[in-house]
Amino acid sequence: MASYLLAMAVFAGFYALMALGLNVIWGLAGMINLGLVGFFAIGAYTAALLSVKLHVPMLVGWGAAAIAGSVAGALLAVVTARLKGDYLAIVTLGFSEIVRLTASNEIWLTGGTDGISAIPGPFRGALSPLGFNLVFAGLIWGVVAVTALALGRLSASPFGRVLRAIREDEMVAAVAGKPVLAFKVRAFALGAGVLGFAGALYAHYNGYVAPDAFQPLITIYVVLALTAGGTGTMRGAMLGAVLVIALTEGTRFLDDVLPGLAPVQIAALREALIGTALIVILTWRPQGLVAERTRVLQLEAL
Amino acid sequence: MTIIPTRRQAMLAALAMPFLGRVAQGAAAEPILIGTLTPQTGAGGSFGPGMVKVAKAVVDDINAAGGVLGRKIELVSADDETNPDAGVRAARKLIDVNKVDAIAGTWASAVTMAVAPLCWDNKVMLFTVSGADSITKLPHQGYIIRTQPNTYLQSGRIAKYIVGDKATKVFGLSAQTPFAVDSYNRLAEVLKAGNVEPLGDIVYDAAKTSFRSEIDQALKTKPDALFLNSYTPDITVLLRELFRAGYEGKRYTFGYAATPKLLENVPADVVEGLVSFAPSPDLGSPAYARVKRILGAEPDPYAAQIHDHISLIALSIAKAGASGGVAIHDFVRAVGDAGGTKVTSAIDGLKLLADGKAVNFEGASGPCKFTPLGDIEDCKFRFDVAEKGKYRLLSIS
Repeated sequence: MASYLLAMAVFAGFYALMALGLNVIWGLAGMINLGLVGFFAIGAYTAALLSVKLHVPMLVGWGAAAIAGSVAGALLAVVTARLKGDYLAIVTLGFSEIVRLTASNEIWLTGGTDGISAIPGPFRGALSPLGFNLVFAGLIWGVVAVTALALGRLSASPFGRVLRAIREDEMVAAVAGKPVLAFKVRAFALGAGVLGFAGALYAHYNGYVAPDAFQPLITIYVVLALTAGGTGTMRGAMLGAVLVIALTEGTRFLDDVLPGLAPVQIAALREALIGTALIVILTWRPQGLVAERTRVLQLEAL
Repeated sequence: MTIIPTRRQAMLAALAMPFLGRVAQGAAAEPILIGTLTPQTGAGGSFGPGMVKVAKAVVDDINAAGGVLGRKIELVSADDETNPDAGVRAARKLIDVNKVDAIAGTWASAVTMAVAPLCWDNKVMLFTVSGADSITKLPHQGYIIRTQPNTYLQSGRIAKYIVGDKATKVFGLSAQTPFAVDSYNRLAEVLKAGNVEPLGDIVYDAAKTSFRSEIDQALKTKPDALFLNSYTPDITVLLRELFRAGYEGKRYTFGYAATPKLLENVPADVVEGLVSFAPSPDLGSPAYARVKRILGAEPDPYAAQIHDHISLIALSIAKAGASGGVAIHDFVRAVGDAGGTKVTSAIDGLKLLADGKAVNFEGASGPCKFTPLGDIEDCKFRFDVAEKGKYRLLSIS
């Protein structure tokens, strides 16, 4: 059981890290990014290829993955500079599908749908499966904590205020003399870098990457995590990620509670429960579990 | 004084109940735990439920006959959602929480590839029905057994059939899968040897909703036969669009794509003459009859194979005299002993093994002999043709 709980903590960590990355792009700067699994995939493939084909040390691969994610993010931000709302959502979704299809078809590089297997993990050979999960859970949540702190500081800084201003009204921010596009590109690059880094850790944890693992479903889960947790807040992003994993994985234990049902009924019930729970949360707290608190100018006080 | 639990205490107690139940159960009987990891949802969702039903029935039969080594078998079923990411988490639950000795029934190749490292790291045996050649080439140290014939064997057989069916020019349309390219290459190789011209192959994304451009490209080469290496959702679209495009040549595909259900769901004209091909279970075998009885319908190959997975697991444990993944790993080939008595059910085999005799298990999918890599050595194939919306058996060879 301990090993399982740790493994789920690791998965929650991946989702939390992705939710944090998304939070910069969407939560702070207000750019809807439905292509986050694409950056995650770019990071995962960068790290996997560097360590399997070029035998580069893992830490270097992780750095490279973050940079690759960032560069892809910056490029996408420039390309989509004039798009907003639904249109940006569609283009970013398309971007992640392009990444997945490229990974499926460029067999010489990515191994196609066979994927890349035997990716080393930190101390994997030297540790028992339980020990490996323990080390990785510590690693990922350490990374999540540092990232959340750093991004939290950033969010409170003048840079964060400008991003929120852009989110609320681009025109006003531009009139106030802020270079809107430059800020958007930087926010996108930063968020995508975090997503790429998450991908790198994922590749080294699972030991296997394949295009099938980067379906839009992951994007949906992370968007849900951030929405349920509370967009714009770092604590919300982390809480939401834990909640989504607890819901999707906790419901696997339904068969212990309801022994009379066939597995296919359990599977259907699981999907229904996960959906219902998220609807309930979003109806009950549309601002998310942790609401964003921004300082508002008190007009009466003036 | 009476103790009234607070709401929070009551909640905690309620949450802890399932776990308490499990502990108490474990102490009393110590069952042997076997996991099934099958697709209950997603693209493979039409196969998983039947597979679990068969696995459960085999386990119930064994338990009713006294179990294995005096212990009952307990089956734990998980849903891989036909998705490697979810499959890994489901496998984690089976291995870390339920502590299964073996996992049976992984269906999609990508799921099997993702789950396999967990299995060999934790010394859990993995029995799979996935077809991709690359699976048994993983460094699995013997922890993978595959009852599904691999791509090389399958494509070679289908190509031989196409040669015999008097096709002259064959084009391939393949869904993007780990075995798409291998399949076509082997097909082309055998076709050439039989003086049939392979025209080429297009690999497409199965998630698309239309394949007009792929079909235009294929028909431009003027094939008189098409090899459709697809899954059910995409072949439905392909067949409709081929019909609309006026294509009248032969079409060959795999049985897992053109399921009997698909024939019910599309107009009979659209599928008329479609030849489907599947590794054939041993139709005359009592084991096959048993699977048919359990399902109450003609079994698909995967239901037949999982019958054999569970039987092999039970027999290996009995032969080894001990449970655990390592015991199954070491003895799984010893229960297909050519010198032993032929048995087609786990119960008969268990009786013989209890008397110290050797057994040669031949299951619903046929003889269970495996190469050192874990692949099945040989098997029969069946060919069906769609006529007026129903399948008619052409041949088994």
